[in-house]
Amino acid sequence: MSLRQHILVVDLSSGRMRREEIPPEFLRAYLGGRGLGVRLLRGRHTLSPFDPAMPVVFAVGPLCGTPAPTSARLSVVSRSPLTGTVYDCSAGGRFAWRLRAAGLFAILIEGKSPRPVVLAVTSCGEELLPADDLWGKGIGDTVGALSDRGSVAAIGPAGENGVLFSCIMMGEGNAVGRGGLGAVLGRKNLKAVTVDGDRSVAVADRERFDRARADVLRLFRASPVIFGELGISEYGTPALVDLMRQRRMAPTENFRRTVFDGSSAYSGPAIRAAYGAKKEGCFGCPIRCKKRASDGRALPEYETVSHFGALNAIADLHAIVRGNDACNDLGMDTISAAATLSAWGEARGRFPSPEEIGPLLHDIAHRRGEGVLLAEGSRRMAKALGKPGVSMSVKSLELPAYDPRGAYGMALAYVTSNRGGCHLRAYPISHEILRKPVASDRFSFSGKARMIKIAEDMNAAVDSLVACKFAFFGASLEEYAELLSGVTGEHHTPQGLKEIGERIYLTERFYNAENGFTRSDDDLPVRFFTEAGSSGEGIDVPPIDRARFEEELTKYYRIRGLRDDGSFADDGFLERQP
Amino acid sequence: MRSLIRKYAEKLHRDRSIAQGRVGIAAKDDVMLTDGAPDLSRLAADVLSRLSCLGVVAASPSLPFAEFLLRRANADAKAIVPLDTETRTFLHDIPIVRREELAGDPVRAIAAHLSNRKGVIAEGVGIVASGPVTLEQAYIHYSSVFHAAFVKYLLDALQAGFVLPGEAEAFRGFRETFLRPLTAEGLSFRPGPFDDPEEVLSEIRAVGRYTVERGLVDSFFGNISCRVGETIFISQTAASLDELAGCIDPVPMDNRSTTGITASSELLAHRRIYEATGARAILHGHPKFAVAMSMLCEEKDCPVKDCWKDCPNVRMLGNTPVVAGEIGAGGLAVRVPPVIGASGKAIVYGHGVFSIGRDGFEEAFRSMVDVENRCRDEYFRRLDARGQSKSE
Repeated sequence: MSLRQHILVVDLSSGRMRREEIPPEFLRAYLGGRGLGVRLLRGRHTLSPFDPAMPVVFAVGPLCGTPAPTSARLSVVSRSPLTGTVYDCSAGGRFAWRLRAAGLFAILIEGKSPRPVVLAVTSCGEELLPADDLWGKGIGDTVGALSDRGSVAAIGPAGENGVLFSCIMMGEGNAVGRGGLGAVLGRKNLKAVTVDGDRSVAVADRERFDRARADVLRLFRASPVIFGELGISEYGTPALVDLMRQRRMAPTENFRRTVFDGSSAYSGPAIRAAYGAKKEGCFGCPIRCKKRASDGRALPEYETVSHFGALNAIADLHAIVRGNDACNDLGMDTISAAATLSAWGEARGRFPSPEEIGPLLHDIAHRRGEGVLLAEGSRRMAKALGKPGVSMSVKSLELPAYDPRGAYGMALAYVTSNRGGCHLRAYPISHEILRKPVASDRFSFSGKARMIKIAEDMNAAVDSLVACKFAFFGASLEEYAELLSGVTGEHHTPQGLKEIGERIYLTERFYNAENGFTRSDDDLPVRFFTEAGSSGEGIDVPPIDRARFEEELTKYYRIRGLRDDGSFADDGFLERQP
Repeated sequence: MRSLIRKYAEKLHRDRSIAQGRVGIAAKDDVMLTDGAPDLSRLAADVLSRLSCLGVVAASPSLPFAEFLLRRANADAKAIVPLDTETRTFLHDIPIVRREELAGDPVRAIAAHLSNRKGVIAEGVGIVASGPVTLEQAYIHYSSVFHAAFVKYLLDALQAGFVLPGEAEAFRGFRETFLRPLTAEGLSFRPGPFDDPEEVLSEIRAVGRYTVERGLVDSFFGNISCRVGETIFISQTAASLDELAGCIDPVPMDNRSTTGITASSELLAHRRIYEATGARAILHGHPKFAVAMSMLCEEKDCPVKDCWKDCPNVRMLGNTPVVAGEIGAGGLAVRVPPVIGASGKAIVYGHGVFSIGRDGFEEAFRSMVDVENRCRDEYFRRLDARGQSKSE
């Protein structure tokens, strides 16, 4: 891969667009994807997420467009209206591949269009198309209307109406799901981006690349989580439903319990039986973890079934699938939507019934009735109701479906994540639950501070390559560094990639610090320190020891080179970064 | 963390993979912790301080095989490439660091290689391995390099003889002193078949420990299962066979639950073996002589290039069939079940041994011991024959 890569800069206010070369030093220091987007935000990272000058960056990674497994992913980076943090989110599908085929490595979108528009990009050029007739339409209709323009990334009514957890949906059914980036596009009057192209990506050292690719595929085949007969290739991420039930860490009834007796209704095998789930994959991905019903609908992921299920005490698979359908068409993050409904349910003393879910989701997306408050996400909603304790969130991002009382690395990682309560930044579930690459003691904090730090750095690099986290249930940075070496012709090592990841992580934290985030924001909801989970079957799930948690958090800061209060000792950190 | 350092140092001693007292372990949390021989623990700590890892093991192996491989390699070789399945899959190759490279800044030289690979062989030092996520990983990677070097050296010595000064003497010491008779005697097995899950779990834990204690597997390698009715109780992926408490998954035969997503990567092979043979217990280990002997094929002008995964033939080592096949979702689960029923045992090319028990684990255990002993005998028979033909 050449270091001569191009970015399309789009000013929606003026309608001006230009293709520029990306400074090669940015690509060396930040790779692409998340890292590149974070770098490009510098200087504007303290703007409000809804300030027209706040950029939204769409970026691919250096492996995109090659046969590197799981690497045709797109990162979208901006500042989240939900969390206030710097925010990146990635999605698979075919959009990233087609963006690269259009001759682009990234798109930076700034300004605000006076009218709704669609940005249409091809290898021959780009244009802004009027989108008044698409405004107000769901994702299905929008994608259908743009289907002759390649791949589509679009917002639905939720993004148009500024729902703080609205998402950007890919036409293939994948989502830039979390953090409300759909609302940022909505505020810019940008309904959709389409991309298409016919350019190929060169591989500098084919022999090295092919060898590394074979190594990756061999490791995928050796991984029970990926290609095992009970793994995600067979059942998708709902393969985790039974496991989380057995480990007694499935968040239930707004995290008041950790076992839901009805979870077998939406397990991987149950979904397969009910919907004839078929395999589907992102471009070039051999895992094909995405599952589609025989009628073509995208079936829900683990987080979605668990949060519309256990978290809301619903054991009705069809209601859960309908909730997923509604979120996908309205353009909303399923995790935050379901978790906000659950928090609201606890606050009012009754969780929503299966029949209420659909109408409530539409009310949220259109900001009407109860939806006006719910569209603000759980933290703001709970505060408005005078019950802040019912929001199970960190930095306003609703927690996903791994109860931190059942995995202490996860507890720590939720609070150190730069984008709020997210499981994917360090992804300790990999070793604490799935035993990959090796197992760690899930009920111990010992060593977790450094494990989390290393994993955050590694995943920042993975998000900048941009590869799928699931690949690392089998392969490691060792093989992906070789893939990168093969593509670029330059020598890369896992250690070098982790150092890039560390730069990205610290840059994000520095941005957040400049936006007022402190140690007090690196905290879990009180419930986890005061209430036990659902013990039983020989597994004790006590409350998390607050003192031990704080001790490990302080260790984490020291390992990161931060002060004990989580702040930077070096005010000039950012200026010293490339 | 200190207790973990001690634990893995003791395991390395028990495995007999390190020279007595010649191990140094470093682990880093917010501070660096070390234990072991002062020179090696200092080296481990210095290397670790240059890596984004949690732990490093530096040790002198109990056998000089890794050192011999390094010295036997071409002068321009940067790595050795063992062809056993574990190495192919997880290590890829093993970098070698020669004395000249270590002369300047040995820490830097070793760390540079460990920034890209899981373990290295350093001339005059031994094996140094890193653990990116846990300290256990550093132990596992040391163990993997030791295992790979052991198997490769057996094969190289058989094929090319002894070429370095002192090699023949060292090998004789290995044969006459280091190797111990392999036996199942003195072990206690519960008679099967089982119907009580608690009894099954207890027996699996015990037999897993036996396989490590008797040297049929290194701690991390291998897996074990028992079928009770329509449930397979199987060791979890990445579980140490001598530490199986809490690491055994019950998996329904009909896949109505995915709880077994954490089960061994060989779950499919176990399931198919149960279906094909009616067995009640399965053991899978990586005894080194069996692994080495499985890689010796005398077929001439064979068109198959990747024998370890593509060879369609069933060879016989004595009365034990040898088949090819990748681990996990590769071909092993297809090729082992049809051949294992007759003799109750099978070897997978470059990988290890599967053995079955019709009722309980005793038959499976004795079969694995038998396979390894026969392979050991056959190896030395061929080595002796090679020596005789050379002297003639």
